[in-house]
Amino acid sequence: MASTLRLFASLLLVLIFAGPGLAQTVNVYTAWPESLSQPIFKAYTAKTGVQINFLRLSTGELVARATAEKNNPRADVIWGAPGDGFAAAKEAGIIEPYKTANIDKIPAELRDKDGYYTAVSRNTLIFMSNAKLLKEKGLKAPTSWNDLLDPVFKGQIQTADARTSGTALTRILSIYYAFGKDEEKAIDYQKKLHKNVQVYTKSGGGCTVPASLGQTMVCIAHMPDAMEAKKKGYDVVVSFPKEGVAAVIEGVALVKGAKNREAAVKFIEWTFSKEMQDLLDKNDVYMLPTLPGASIDADVQALMKEAKLLPVDLEWVGKNRKRLVDRWINEVIRD
Amino acid sequence: MVVWAAVLLFVLYPLGRLLVLVFWNEGPSLDAVRGLLGDWTHRAALVNSLVLAALVGVAGTVLGFAFALLAVRGSLPTWLGRALDAVVLLPLISPPFTAAIALIFALGPRGLISYHVFGLTNVSIYGLSGTFLSETLTYFPIAYLTLKAVIANIDANLEDSAFSLGARRWRVFRTVTVPLAIPGIANAFLLVSAASLADFATPLILAGTKFPVLPTQAFLQITGLYDMRGGAALCFLLLVPALAIFVGQRRWIESRGGSYVTVTGRLGAATRIKSLSPIAITGLGVLCGAVALLVLVCYALIAAASLVKGLGADNRLSFVHYAHVFSGGLKAVRDTLIIAVLCMPVGGLFAVVLGFLVARTEFPGRRALEFAAMMNYALPGTIVGIAYLIAFNDPPLVLTGTAFILVVCYVFRYSLAGTRATMAVLAQIDPSLEEASASLGARRDVTFRRVVLPLVRPALLAGMTVLFIRAMTAISATIFLVSLSWSLVTVRILEGITNLELGQASAFSMLVIALVYLAVVLASLAMRKLNAGSLGQAGSLLGE
Repeated sequence: MASTLRLFASLLLVLIFAGPGLAQTVNVYTAWPESLSQPIFKAYTAKTGVQINFLRLSTGELVARATAEKNNPRADVIWGAPGDGFAAAKEAGIIEPYKTANIDKIPAELRDKDGYYTAVSRNTLIFMSNAKLLKEKGLKAPTSWNDLLDPVFKGQIQTADARTSGTALTRILSIYYAFGKDEEKAIDYQKKLHKNVQVYTKSGGGCTVPASLGQTMVCIAHMPDAMEAKKKGYDVVVSFPKEGVAAVIEGVALVKGAKNREAAVKFIEWTFSKEMQDLLDKNDVYMLPTLPGASIDADVQALMKEAKLLPVDLEWVGKNRKRLVDRWINEVIRD
Repeated sequence: MVVWAAVLLFVLYPLGRLLVLVFWNEGPSLDAVRGLLGDWTHRAALVNSLVLAALVGVAGTVLGFAFALLAVRGSLPTWLGRALDAVVLLPLISPPFTAAIALIFALGPRGLISYHVFGLTNVSIYGLSGTFLSETLTYFPIAYLTLKAVIANIDANLEDSAFSLGARRWRVFRTVTVPLAIPGIANAFLLVSAASLADFATPLILAGTKFPVLPTQAFLQITGLYDMRGGAALCFLLLVPALAIFVGQRRWIESRGGSYVTVTGRLGAATRIKSLSPIAITGLGVLCGAVALLVLVCYALIAAASLVKGLGADNRLSFVHYAHVFSGGLKAVRDTLIIAVLCMPVGGLFAVVLGFLVARTEFPGRRALEFAAMMNYALPGTIVGIAYLIAFNDPPLVLTGTAFILVVCYVFRYSLAGTRATMAVLAQIDPSLEEASASLGARRDVTFRRVVLPLVRPALLAGMTVLFIRAMTAISATIFLVSLSWSLVTVRILEGITNLELGQASAFSMLVIALVYLAVVLASLAMRKLNAGSLGQAGSLLGE
C-alpha cells in the first residue's frame, strides 16, 4: 500500500512539471470547432514548423477563462471568435492592440478602430429549414422575418439563447437593423417571435441537429452550421430574410502579456495573408474572407447573392450589447 | 492534520478567492448580490432549483430503492441481475450531455418512442418535465448503488426473527427492512438531490428559457454576460439549500442513531430471505424493466449514431467516427485515462479516511471539516472550476496547465460518494469491533488498517469507482481547467454535440462507456479475489 502510494506521489510530481513544452509554439484559444480550426493551424505548422497548441472553448467560456488568467496569461492569441466576444475582451483588458501589416487592405468596418482586434472572416445569419417538414405542411422556406410569425411555425422554431450565444446576439442585431434601428419595434417583433419558439439552445449551432433530424422545422443559425448539415447529407434548405441580416465578424487578437509574443505576432500576420484567407474556401469553412481578393466558396457565393448584409456598428454594439440582452431576458422571454 | 490542510488548500482557499471577487469591489460591497435579486429569472431559478432537486431526490431514491430491492432480494438469476446492473449504470457512466441528448432522440418531437412508436407529433420535452425525467434517469443509479450496499448489509437474521414472531411480509418490510435501510435512504436522497441541485448540463439542454435553474443561470451569467461576479454570487445562493439538505440529513440520522447496527461480528448463518412476495417481485420487475428499457433505447440510439455516417440522413454502416476517435481523439482519451486512474487511489483513500474521521472520532471542528469537504460537491462545477482557475493560476501555487489540477479537482469534488458510503457502512458496524481491537493493545492506525479498512472495503470500492466514473465523464468544473497540454474526452464530446458532429460525439461516448464498464468489472473482480467470502453480500456492490 505504502509503496503504491509513493509511486503515485512521484507520478503526480512529474505531472506537476509537465506543462507545455519549450519548442517554438503559439498558444491559441479559439471558439471555432476543431473541424474548422485545426486544419488551418496544421497548415501553419506545416509551413513554419511552429507548433500551435489550441484549446476550443465557447466564446463566453473563452472570455471568462482569459479574464481569470489575466495576471498569468496562458494563451498568446485569441483566434476565431465572434466580434462581441472581442468587444468584451477589450473591455476586460485582456487583449492588446496589434495592427497587422495588411491592415489598410481590411475594410474599416471589419476591425476595431483602436486596433484591438481584426476580422479573420465574415459570418452571416441564415434560416435553415427541414425540407421534409416544410413539404409535409406545404410550406416554403421563410424569406422574411415576418414569415416566422405565422402560426404554422408555432413550436417549430429553435434558435440560440442570448445569454450564451454570439449567434443569438447576431439575431437580435439583425432584427434591430432589419427594423430600421427602431429598438421598440425590434423588441415588439421578438416578443411575437418568442411565441413560436420551441426552445432556445445554449450554443449557436445547437438547433442544427434538431432541424436536420426534423425535431424542429426552422433553425436560425449561422451559415457554417447550415452548410455543414448540408454537406453531411441532411435535407435542409437555407434561406435569408429579405429585410436583411447583420454582417458579423469572427476576429483575432493578441493577448496582453502574451508569453510567446513574437511567434504570436507572426501567426497573426499569416492570418491576413492570401494563403490563409484562401484556406477558408479550400477547407469549407463557409465564411467569407476579409482580405479582398481571397477566393470564396462557390455555394456560399451563390447563396450570398440572395443575402442582404446590413453593416454593424461595432462601437455601438459594444456599448449596447448588455442592454439589448437584458431587454431580451426581461421583456422578450418573460411569458 | 493532513486532511484539514488538504481541505483548506483545495476547497476553502479557492472559494475564499472567489468570495473576495464577489464581495470586494474596492471595499466590502453587496452590489453584486443586490443586482441579482432584482432579476426575475434569478428569483424563479432559486425556486425552480429547489423544486427540481426535491422531485429528483424523491423519484431517484424511490427508483433506486426499487432497483436495489429487486437486485438484492428478488432472487434474480445471476445473468439477469448482471444485465440489470449493466443497464442501470449506463446513465451514470455516460457524459452528462449524452443522456439529455439521447432522451431528445427518444422522447422529443419526432423521437423514436414518442413519434415513431406512438405517433405523437407535439411532444414537449423542454422544461420541468424533460429536465426532471433526464435527471432522475441520470442520478437514480447513485441511489441504487448506495442502497444496494446497505440492503445487502442488513442481517437477514433480523428479518427472520420478525417472521418467526409471526409478522407478515409487509409488516416486516415496513418495520424492519426499511428502518434498517434508513441511513442509506437518507444518504441516497442527499446524494441525488445534491447532484440535481448542482447539475447544469441537463437543464442547459432541456430546461430552455421557461424553466431557469440556478447552476445554469450562474453558468449563463459568467459565459454569456461576461459577468463573473454575478455568476459567482448566484452560486453562493446555492450554498444555502445545499447546507440545509446536509444539516437536515445529519440531524435525522443521528436522532435515531444507534439502532442500525447490523454487522456485529456475530453474523449468523445467512438464511434464505423471504421478505418479498412473488407479487411484489413481479411489480418491481415490471417497474424496473420499463425504466431499464427506456434507458436501453436511449443508449441504443447513441450507439446507432456512432455507427452510421449521419443519423437520420445517411444510415449506412460506417466506422469513420471511430477512426477519428482513434486518430485525432487519441490524445484526449489517453489524458483522460491517466487522470482518472490517478484519481482512484488518492480519492478513494481520502474518502475513507475522511468518512472514518467524521463517523468514528471526536475532535474539534469535526462537523466543520465534514461540511467543508462536501462544499466542492454541492457547488456547481462551473463555479468550482472558475475558483480553481483564479486560485491556482498565480503564485504562490501555480497549478493550471497541469494534470495535477484536474486530479485535485476531481478528488475534492467527487470523493463525497466514497465518504458517505464509508459513513453509511460504519453506521451499521458495531464500534465494539474497534474497541475490541483497541483493548487488545492495537494503536489507532493499526485498528484503522486491520479492522476498519477491511470492513469498509465495499465503500472504498464504491468511492473509487465513482471517482473513476466521474473523472471519465464530468465536464462542468473541468471545462475551465483543461489546458493546452491536458485535454479531456468529455470536452470533445460536448464540442461534437454542439457542432453537429453527432457521430463523433457518440463514438467518444461509446468509448467512455466501454472503458468505464471495463474498469468496473475489473474492480469488482479484484475485490472478490482479495477477500473471497469475507465480505458476504456487501461484495455484490457492483453486480457480482
